[in-house]
Amino acid sequence: MIYNPFSISIKEAVKDIFFTALLVFCLCASVFSQQKITGYVTGINDVSLEGVTINVKGSGTGTTTDERGLFSIFAKAGDVLVFSFVGYNSKQVTIGAEYNLTVSLTETPVNLDEVIVTGYTAQKIKEITGSIASVKPEDLTAVPAGQAEQMLQGRVAGLTVITSGMPGSPSNVFIHGIGNFGNVTPLYIIDGVQGDINLLNPQDIESLQVLKDAGAYAIYGVRGANGVIVVTTRSGKTGKTKITYDSYYGTTRPLRKGLDLLNPQGQADLTWLADRNSGDVDPNTGNPVDPYYGNGSTPVLPDILVAGPYTGLSMSDSNANPAKYNINPANGSIYQIIASNKTGTDWFHDLFKPATSQNHTLTISGGSEKNKYLFSLGYLDQQGTLLNTYLKRYTARINTVFALDKTIRIGENLQLSFRDNPTITNQSPSNEIFTSVLAWPIMPVYDINGGWASLTVLNPISQSNPVAARVLAQNNTSNYWDILGNVFAEANVLRDVTFRTSFGGTFNDYYFYTYNFSDYGLSAAGIPNNSVSEASGYARSWTWTNSFTYSQTFRNIHKITVFAATEAISNFNRELDAARSGFFSTAPTFLLLSNGIAATQTNSDLEGASSLYSLIGKADYGFDERLFFSATLRKDGSSIFAPQKRYGWFPSFSAAWRLTEEKFLKDSKWLTDLKIRTSWGKTGFFGNTNPLNQFDLYGGSVSNSYYDINGTSNSPVQGFRNTRIGNPNTTWEQDIVTNIGLESIFFSGKLNLTIDWYKKLSSGLLFPVALPAILGAGTPPNTNVGNVENTGIDVLVGSKGSFSKDWNWNATLTFTSYNNKILHLTDLPYFDLQSNAGTFVRNEVGHPVGSFFGYKIIGFFANSNDVNKSPVQQDASPGRFKYLDANHDGVIDDNDRVFFGNPNPKFTVGINLGLAYKGFDFSTFLYGSFGNDVINVLREVTDFAPYPPGFPFNSAKSKIALYDSWTPQHQNAIAPIAENSFNFSNLGAVNSYPLENGSYLRNKSMILGYAFKNNWLSKYKIRRLRIYLQCVNLFTLTRYTGLDPELSGASSAWGIDFGNYPNNQKQYLVGINLGI
Amino acid sequence: MKYFKPLLGLAALTGLFYSCNRSFLNSSPLGSLSTAQVANKQGVEGLLIGAYSLLDGQGAVQGGPASSESNWIYGSICGTEAYKGSVVGDIPEITEFETFQSTATNDFLEAKWQALYEGIQSANDVIRIMRLAKDMTLSDTVEARAEALFLRAFYHFEAKKMWNNIPYIDETITYASGNYHVPNDTAWNRIENDFIYAMNNLPATQPNVGRANKYAAEAFLAKVYMFERKFTVAKPLLEDLINNGVTAGGLHYALLVHFHDNFDPATKNGSESVFAAQMSVNDGSLGANGNPGDVNNFPMVGPVGCCSFFRPSQYLVNHFKTDPVTGLPDLDNFNDSDVKNDEGLTPDSPFVAYAGTLDPRLDWTVGRRGIPYLDWGIYTGSNWVRDQTDYGPYSAKKNAFYISEQQAYTDNSNWAPVSTATNFNLIRFADVLLLAAEAEIETGNLENARGYVNQVRQRAADPMGWVYQYNINPATGSQDPALGNSGVPAANYKIGSYTQTWTDPALARKAVRYERMLELGMEGHRFFDLVRWGIAQTEINNYLKQEQTLRNYLVGVTFMPCNEYFLIPQTEIDLSAGISGIPMMNQNCY
Repeated sequence: MIYNPFSISIKEAVKDIFFTALLVFCLCASVFSQQKITGYVTGINDVSLEGVTINVKGSGTGTTTDERGLFSIFAKAGDVLVFSFVGYNSKQVTIGAEYNLTVSLTETPVNLDEVIVTGYTAQKIKEITGSIASVKPEDLTAVPAGQAEQMLQGRVAGLTVITSGMPGSPSNVFIHGIGNFGNVTPLYIIDGVQGDINLLNPQDIESLQVLKDAGAYAIYGVRGANGVIVVTTRSGKTGKTKITYDSYYGTTRPLRKGLDLLNPQGQADLTWLADRNSGDVDPNTGNPVDPYYGNGSTPVLPDILVAGPYTGLSMSDSNANPAKYNINPANGSIYQIIASNKTGTDWFHDLFKPATSQNHTLTISGGSEKNKYLFSLGYLDQQGTLLNTYLKRYTARINTVFALDKTIRIGENLQLSFRDNPTITNQSPSNEIFTSVLAWPIMPVYDINGGWASLTVLNPISQSNPVAARVLAQNNTSNYWDILGNVFAEANVLRDVTFRTSFGGTFNDYYFYTYNFSDYGLSAAGIPNNSVSEASGYARSWTWTNSFTYSQTFRNIHKITVFAATEAISNFNRELDAARSGFFSTAPTFLLLSNGIAATQTNSDLEGASSLYSLIGKADYGFDERLFFSATLRKDGSSIFAPQKRYGWFPSFSAAWRLTEEKFLKDSKWLTDLKIRTSWGKTGFFGNTNPLNQFDLYGGSVSNSYYDINGTSNSPVQGFRNTRIGNPNTTWEQDIVTNIGLESIFFSGKLNLTIDWYKKLSSGLLFPVALPAILGAGTPPNTNVGNVENTGIDVLVGSKGSFSKDWNWNATLTFTSYNNKILHLTDLPYFDLQSNAGTFVRNEVGHPVGSFFGYKIIGFFANSNDVNKSPVQQDASPGRFKYLDANHDGVIDDNDRVFFGNPNPKFTVGINLGLAYKGFDFSTFLYGSFGNDVINVLREVTDFAPYPPGFPFNSAKSKIALYDSWTPQHQNAIAPIAENSFNFSNLGAVNSYPLENGSYLRNKSMILGYAFKNNWLSKYKIRRLRIYLQCVNLFTLTRYTGLDPELSGASSAWGIDFGNYPNNQKQYLVGINLGI
Repeated sequence: MKYFKPLLGLAALTGLFYSCNRSFLNSSPLGSLSTAQVANKQGVEGLLIGAYSLLDGQGAVQGGPASSESNWIYGSICGTEAYKGSVVGDIPEITEFETFQSTATNDFLEAKWQALYEGIQSANDVIRIMRLAKDMTLSDTVEARAEALFLRAFYHFEAKKMWNNIPYIDETITYASGNYHVPNDTAWNRIENDFIYAMNNLPATQPNVGRANKYAAEAFLAKVYMFERKFTVAKPLLEDLINNGVTAGGLHYALLVHFHDNFDPATKNGSESVFAAQMSVNDGSLGANGNPGDVNNFPMVGPVGCCSFFRPSQYLVNHFKTDPVTGLPDLDNFNDSDVKNDEGLTPDSPFVAYAGTLDPRLDWTVGRRGIPYLDWGIYTGSNWVRDQTDYGPYSAKKNAFYISEQQAYTDNSNWAPVSTATNFNLIRFADVLLLAAEAEIETGNLENARGYVNQVRQRAADPMGWVYQYNINPATGSQDPALGNSGVPAANYKIGSYTQTWTDPALARKAVRYERMLELGMEGHRFFDLVRWGIAQTEINNYLKQEQTLRNYLVGVTFMPCNEYFLIPQTEIDLSAGISGIPMMNQNCY
């Protein structure tokens, strides 16, 4: 039904007229012959609609469709049947000669009377005063990501999601910019209980609301500042038992191209170029001397790369005699022989292989007026393209509600899940994505006898073998068992007062197993270089909420709702870790901790607990469906902070005015609905604050605080050291959020537009600022260090319509733009964040959080004359970077570092386009991020200079390094001079070389589906059958030269590419949706 | 059903008010000790042990070589005794020090700073928490305080040697009081005062050999005075130590017969060990308590087989030449010709060893061609070292252990580098004697000085403590470590005492300073000695001038007066508004 303010009054008028007419008709009705009209009602692409009301216009006759969308009604030719259904445009059909009708209804873009969950309460959309965005479950599951959080990307204006391609990997999710330095993840409330959305089977989600302004989320108090995402899982509906089965199966293809690296000959040529540029040549011959490539005027690729301690041998060399080969320490000393792979090893594609994905969900649901149930089973097997990374998730859900009598309902939502999710450490220089780019192309995967190449310690230059590392990780385990849910009871204790109690939470149990094999040799102790570590633990969290809701409407125009609640939350976790090394056999069946060398054992455990107690109030007042006011107030007490800093009050106020209810707009032809709203509120956040933050603590371990005071050589005495410096004055971060929004619907629903502007001032941000070492080595506490302001605009434009009877279309655009600035830092001018790839990030007042900072390159030194006349710079030399003398003092030093990049995008967009023709549906979804800078560390280490420092060209290099690096003859180069020296003027200082534009536009999903005709299906008692083909990440438009510009990371240091599992791999799927 | 609503109502009320009580929100420090839990006699003792545990330079930050108590980088490599070693580019931070080009952002400086100040604050914790304890007697607190102040002064002294201009952190400096923007200064008096308190309040002997006693405090106080050039104040302390000093275990101070016993875990805490960093292994720490800062400093063959860092310089080796008649060193011309080495030779090419006379301490200090390397076999040259071309033919030896000690005193639970239970002597009696000799010279008693120097030389001269060839294995015709010592000295040792009366203070001074290198070489003292004597620039540039002909990477390196102290780590200057650095990028220096 279109929401139309006039429709009611027209309807009323029509009703009156026809009521009178009815009498007349009734008298005559028997004169005409009544026919049994049967039919089938569908939505877009032939989905059968259950519960559609069908009335014979002008008569009292009516019926509804059954679960297969079928109906029958008595009417006669010339009668008009009115089909109406919540959320759909109503339709009138005149009975002609055809007595078997197929009617398809189109959805209204926004159903203002729809009731959505807004946190603790539920409201009609038109009455909501806060900024809340809903995501439809079918949009959510359109992108076949393993985890629900990844599916939110681009669906909600104001919500940014950055993720990686690793199955089961966490994403960076933030609402309305980056409000702090630690943790910007929104609060997920699942069926009223704080939980992890990634535990859910996305198919089980019935509705998902994103609360974006303080008017909506201030009611979550100290947990609310990052925004709140409220998820409701599906429940059974009154009616016959329904069974649905949804499934897809597909394949993910690795990126066709890795990075543009040199082949072995190119790598050798580059070594010669660098040696010559560096003057590392034999003074007699003038040629470089290399353990692999010889000492000629040009490098020669050896037949045998390594044979025992020897390198760069010819095939006939006696040292390369295969008889000498040995990789088993039990048979004597290790002598590995590795032949050269002269054509080059494609490490990237030896690691990344096509991978399958499949997903199955079986749901059984139904119920009576009194009792409803839903039972669902889910299985996801998402294989990663990187060897031995995957997510397997098994879920079982039981949601039930029982009405004990008319006033009492009890129910529960429960999900059991098991996840098997071995992963790599994403964005780490030690992961195989990073090392695959560094591994020499001349090194093969296997040695001459099938052993893993390079896994001996004694090679002159050690090389890692990323394929070996991934294959040897095959028995690594990351298992999670999760229970998630709640039980609740509701009673109408008085006529207008409902009491509700809900107790729920999560219980997580996990187990990790990691096997490490470093090389074939023995340690000096004569034990094998391998180790096993295991960890297991559990975490439980419960939330108990008790609330009263009073709701009353006075004189039909004053609607008042008052909500009051208490809430108690308690969290606890415990973990046990252990490791041993030196396993005699590497057979997986043997690799139990107890089989390792006892002297190598380590074990430890950890424990944490926190609690929160809150009083919550909310009052809503609606006047004549025109003006709405809402106020919320929450008092939180958190155990994380010291008693004097524990309690806080969080108020919010919001108001909305529906202008189209006013006389001056009521008659507008084009403006169907217009609501403006505004809100102001305060929320808080405790960030990553450890519950121990308030305490000075002492402890220590045998390695860092025990001491052999008795001189025994083996029995140190237990000692303690200060392990944590406490700060009892730390309290939560406080956010003051102002929001102004506009919601509008045009042309009876053909177009809708929502715009929000906000300003979010976050003060007292929590961060464990490093303390000077003169205070000792205790972990520094989180303190309230600074203020950050975010302002931004979110726009949602939606459009729906039909070109003709059979052609329907819809389009949605989300636009997200925010501006982020650090306003104030307490006691310090800035703080830097180190990553494994260097300190690229400085947080300083006046700049966005996570800004890139370092020396800005203004060119290369052209010659020694240029060096002499330029500002004094350490290691300045022709062909090296010339840095900007920012303070014009003639010296390049620390003070010349500048801000040169910003990882925050200028804006992001999500575009969803859909077309439906009869049974066919086509949809595509694009996501784009524009104006964000990224740091491509991979490029820095492949384009030039020795990496790691001090090991000249011990890693693969790019074609740029050889063909487009600076030489006196080629000064207009991309990369600096190829050389062996690692110094301040090349890779030795954080500089702007790896800076790139990270903008991209990606086709996330393209789906072509077909729903079978109902009359054909009903023969087989099938309610619904749809099949579809889907293509994911069909294209990405970007100028970024790395694998993928979408780069996650810590919220205060992101957009840095150092071994990122790409999220732009193509995936092809076939899927089925079946309902009986 | 009738009772359901009232029951629900009851549940509602319980729910509403459950957890209103404060205990729901009171959190306890899980997994750690709170201040209250350590504020008792045993807890304070635990904190004191924790403060001692930093003596190996490793605490919360396991800085490894950067913060090693042995100062092998800052004291020995910067002090002309050794080269970095391994291969070029392996741990480039050390190269920065070795070439006197370290910047304030060199993370080794930060690690060293952190380790020392963690020690200082751990000592301060003892004093702070002790005041809260109710079960400690006055004498308990005096003892705890004295030990804590000893440690606090020791760590400050180490920092003072490194940076000179340091913040002195006493127990009043805490995070809670917000007074931690402490300025740095070059004063010595508070280091002195802490050692004086310790000296006056510690007992002569202790129930545990690792504890500081009265004489350890007195020895460090004397050393502090020597750094301050307060010779007249130092002298009586040194005399007292020589005449009356005992170890914490009650042994009267004396030089050990075997020079190498000072570096042998089986003979640790002997009469020469004035104060040592106690090391332990096979203790569940996976090697973290067994010289973790020096695990890379073993040759490629022999003990451990890795990683050939810390390689003695030719300059050091040349010091050990002696006069064939007098057995005395040539103080002026020792470096004019080299003790012959096997650089450039493979292990199987013939090598005829240096035939000249040598101080026997050489072969306990330096691993070199043809000489037994403890009981590991004959040192055969290039296969024992990594990258001989860049870092020469020698290996460090004082840190090495015997095969026979491999199980009891080494820890194999880590990977390749092996940890050892060899104590590191932070001050040993030979050091005291040589300091006394200096003090005597500076106060005009040259003959007393000669006596002390001769004491040290006479121990070295005792053939009991020399290196000997292995017995010949008749089957192979070559020396076999398994067959033990043949009684034939491994080289042409000749060492004698200074028999002529010392009359020239300059000459005496030169002799004592030279003797310190022979006796204490590779023990992390030299650089700090050169600086306190005011001869660092001359001495190091002399060294560089000669060594540049041998070690290519030293070409162009010069030592400037501003290199006498290390740069305060940039991070610490950034984090503490109080500390001012020595000019960071001193243009005169670079």
